[in-house]
Amino acid sequence: MIRMDNVVKRFGEQTVLSGVSFAVGEGEIFGLLGPSGAGKTTIINILTNQLDADGGSHSIGAGPLQTGLMLDEDGLYTRLSCLDNLNVFAGVYGIPRSLSVQALKNVGLEDAAKKPVRTLSKGMRQRLALARAVLHRPKVLFLDEPTGGLDPATARGIHSLILRLRDGGATVFLTTHNMDEAYKLCDSVALLHRGVIVEKGSPAEICTRHGAFKTTPDLEAVFIKLTGVELE
Amino acid sequence: MRSIRAIYVKQAKDMFKNIPVLVQFIIYPVMALIFTVLVAKPDETIADTMFVSMFSSIFAGMALIFSASGAIAEDRESKSLRFLVMAGVKPHEYLLGVGGVLFTAGSVVSVVFALMGGYAGAGFAKFLGFMLLSCLSSILLGATIGIASKNQQAATALGTPAAMILGFGPMITMFNDTAKKIFSVFYTQQLNIAVSDAHAGVIKPLGVILANIAVLAALFALAYKRKGLRG
Repeated sequence: MIRMDNVVKRFGEQTVLSGVSFAVGEGEIFGLLGPSGAGKTTIINILTNQLDADGGSHSIGAGPLQTGLMLDEDGLYTRLSCLDNLNVFAGVYGIPRSLSVQALKNVGLEDAAKKPVRTLSKGMRQRLALARAVLHRPKVLFLDEPTGGLDPATARGIHSLILRLRDGGATVFLTTHNMDEAYKLCDSVALLHRGVIVEKGSPAEICTRHGAFKTTPDLEAVFIKLTGVELE
Repeated sequence: MRSIRAIYVKQAKDMFKNIPVLVQFIIYPVMALIFTVLVAKPDETIADTMFVSMFSSIFAGMALIFSASGAIAEDRESKSLRFLVMAGVKPHEYLLGVGGVLFTAGSVVSVVFALMGGYAGAGFAKFLGFMLLSCLSSILLGATIGIASKNQQAATALGTPAAMILGFGPMITMFNDTAKKIFSVFYTQQLNIAVSDAHAGVIKPLGVILANIAVLAALFALAYKRKGLRG
């Protein structure tokens, strides 16, 4: 569904992607992992034709109207309400406005439908951005750091949404530097370091290959157990 | 067409919630009304329409440049434009949607000015025609500035001198003949000439304004070709 072959990208003298190749199957959650500055967002920008590559080829098995996008900058209209934000895109896609209401329900924002975006918390804005990305039920979804800077409960809510989307048949391409998130969510991952893919495969395969298993305390689970805070 | 409609509705709702922009569409008619009632009406040596024609020229020159450049620069800076483009919105659809709202708002304010000035019949049509052409010119200039600017701060920096020259130019020409000659090439000065004198000819002002529109359309095309509309 998504493919990159030997893609190269330079910004001036600096090479930010050096021969990046990977393939993502239909209905799969694919995680591109790496630290800030590794080139993750550049890859999304190239795949979504917002940026031209300097070499190699890439393709998505879906047209622009079958693609959903959630970036680190949410691009929401801050003076408009949540519902109005979605209705702009419902109008552009030519889909019924009732789907905007449904999308807000899906991300747990139905009570905030009439609130201006500028009054929302960061987590609520992230959920609204996700609702906009999936409003038209895209076949391919790009999510750039979808849970970056969010509290555990909101992040977990977004995880369950992503899994539901995958179960609904969507192919999900996400970037993250949160390894736990990638392990829990992704069917396959690629590890990106300084513009080079250093490893790829399923999270379990990669860990097995590198003998990287450990037991770690799960503070997130404790927090949710103690506070009972869940998105839904 | 549906994208233009969606963006038009978005822009209209956004404008009504954007107080600084809304104020620009209200302040000039209010100022004209105050000056007409307090200064022009009691003084027989001042034409009743003097402040209407002056403030309508200032409005056409300033409010629409600031609002057009600000709207586009804001959408670029906040990256919302990127999501529209990704959703398949074509640049001309976006610009028609945003420009359409500003043109509608400019038309409504122009009608208010015309009623305030007591224009009727052919005078009303002449005033409105010149105002609408001037509004179109300012929207084109504002859109060019918005496209050429990386963010709202840059748009303000570029838009302020342009709006000052075009908005206050007609007022300066009342006191200086050299300024009158220089500013006569600008559409706001021709607007001021056409609407302040009911008997003034329309051919020259119309020709100059249409030439301004042609130059501004070329500038807009150039800016669009160089910068595009990617957020």
